Amino acid sequence: MKKPELLAPAGDLERLKIALLYGADAVYIGGAFNLRANANNFKLEDIKEGTQYAHKLNKKIYVTVNIALHNKEYEKIENYLQQLSEIGVDAIIVSDPAIINLAQPLNLQVHLSTQNSTLNKEAVEFWKKQGVTRIVLARECSQTDIIDIKKNINIELEVFIHGAMCASYSGRCVLSNFLTNRDSNRGGCSQICRWDFDLYNQKKHLKGEKPFTFCTKDLSMAKHIPDLIDMQIDSLKIEGRMRSIYYIATVVKVYRQIIDDYCHNPTNYEYNLKYEDILRKVANRDSITQFFDGNFGKEVQYYNGRQEITNQDFLGLILEYDKKTKLAKIQQRNYFKKGDIVEIFGPHTSFKFQINEIYDEDKNPIEIVRHPKQIVYLKLPQKVSPCDMMKIY
Amino acid sequence: MTKIAAIVNNVQQAQNIQNYIDTYLLPIKDFSINYTNSFTLDEINKLKSLNKEIFVIVNKNIHNTELENLIKLLKQIEKLSIQGIIFYDIAIVNLKHKLNLKTPLVWAQEHLTTNYGTINYWYDKGATYTYLSSELTKREIDEITNHTKAKLFLTIFGYIPMFTSRRHLVQNYLDTFKLQSNSHIHQIQKEGKSYIISDTKFGTTVYSNYILNATNESFPNIDYLVFNSNLIDEQQFLTVLKDYQNKHENSFPKETGFLYQETIYKVK
Repeated sequence: MKKPELLAPAGDLERLKIALLYGADAVYIGGAFNLRANANNFKLEDIKEGTQYAHKLNKKIYVTVNIALHNKEYEKIENYLQQLSEIGVDAIIVSDPAIINLAQPLNLQVHLSTQNSTLNKEAVEFWKKQGVTRIVLARECSQTDIIDIKKNINIELEVFIHGAMCASYSGRCVLSNFLTNRDSNRGGCSQICRWDFDLYNQKKHLKGEKPFTFCTKDLSMAKHIPDLIDMQIDSLKIEGRMRSIYYIATVVKVYRQIIDDYCHNPTNYEYNLKYEDILRKVANRDSITQFFDGNFGKEVQYYNGRQEITNQDFLGLILEYDKKTKLAKIQQRNYFKKGDIVEIFGPHTSFKFQINEIYDEDKNPIEIVRHPKQIVYLKLPQKVSPCDMMKIY
Repeated sequence: MTKIAAIVNNVQQAQNIQNYIDTYLLPIKDFSINYTNSFTLDEINKLKSLNKEIFVIVNKNIHNTELENLIKLLKQIEKLSIQGIIFYDIAIVNLKHKLNLKTPLVWAQEHLTTNYGTINYWYDKGATYTYLSSELTKREIDEITNHTKAKLFLTIFGYIPMFTSRRHLVQNYLDTFKLQSNSHIHQIQKEGKSYIISDTKFGTTVYSNYILNATNESFPNIDYLVFNSNLIDEQQFLTVLKDYQNKHENSFPKETGFLYQETIYKVK
């Protein structure tokens, strides 16, 4: 059975390393000319370091170059592509096809972004003829659509499995341009789709218990991963380049386990509701399978506007571990104290314990850890590794 | 020479404005979105008797299950011998080559037609016309006209679609909160501004809060200046066309959209 690639997002080098350590086969990142202009994007030296790090692990790095170019960006982009080629990134993800012609002489593999809303096999065939090696399908594709495309066109397909959704067809929204003068197709999206509006039929205010919004629930395909593997989808993509290390570690680890469990023994595979529970806890909106099931009725909408659940489960990041003293050096992320029952999890670790001993940076005993990014030491009952994480049990 | 094109709602309106335009842009039944009305192939065929140029608008995102009907449609359009097909979905480019269709193509991925490099890319792939994005500045438009052989369309009058979704966003809201409404056209309001939102069987469209009215602007190198009548009173629309022909200012407020307002995308 062919195992699909698990593709994770990363907003910086720390998240890139976390994603790969927790089980991603490849990571996609943004440098210049990408649709998250206001994220902490990768500079060229970061892309180089990230690519070298990934290649040492025999994993891949894709760089999003997916804005709709205006003339001034078109005139600058060739030099940037040249530098990505020299670094040796594994592919670029583009929506503007002018980039294809510029990338091919540089031997850059081109993946077509979901921003191009590719929904059908004729469009897929067109892009294949142009030398595109992978299509990131539109999120509006149903299972039946994807099966038919895969059956008819021999090209790599990438499908979103988790994260936030555009309320529009990708690329067909400029609400941000009109309402905030920020160009959504050049990375300035101000997420107007999450705003509340008053809905009217002429003078009649159509007022429900919650205000009108475009906002949809997030996507979660955990229970359909076996279907996607059976459909021979090449890459399963997690959305969220602006998400935290905790979110990325948790989501990547869950999907890694689902893929591995199913591929190891498809006949006896049973969907574990525990995974859904973990994903729900780390999310800040409800999630649903959306268009895969042909479902885009009222149950996909999310009427809590910008009110999102703030997750404070992530307590700390393990920086070091001393085998002799059994002390772990931890960077605090949320409040915890002596007596709390917590869980340590990592790429290959998972155990719970009660916090009995906490020390400050000078190894003085303390009771409470309340300061953001405070460095403390905890005595642990088991060995841990850097980049393991501590969360509320 | 620049031609005047109009997007119209029905055959009667097309006849009423025939003396003021050179070209009709016609939304086509079941394959157009962002317009409240559309035309059947029979109606388009009848309009040929007016001896104007005709382009049909096939601008919906094509789902895989719609390909069969799209192929039938393209073959029927081919028989009409019209001036072109205004398209959004790239399937149409592939089918033009596979079916050996002669009808010219107009690349019209509405918010993505933003630079001359990509316009030239599509020119080489067989789309010899491009419908320019409404989010361009006048300077960018001038640069494009200087760097491409493609013939260009540009809207200078009408509402601008800002958002297109497959979801039925208004109906979903009404269903969720058990509200009743007898219209497909609604308004959403925010911070004192009102935007038209339209639910159709293909999803939801939201339009600009203003009618673009750049009829005073000069675009000597644009091949087709487009007046879009969608959601606008037909009599008022006719008057706007008459005023334009007579070089009079029309009665709508001057509104130049993004022509002199460059968008930003990095706020830090």
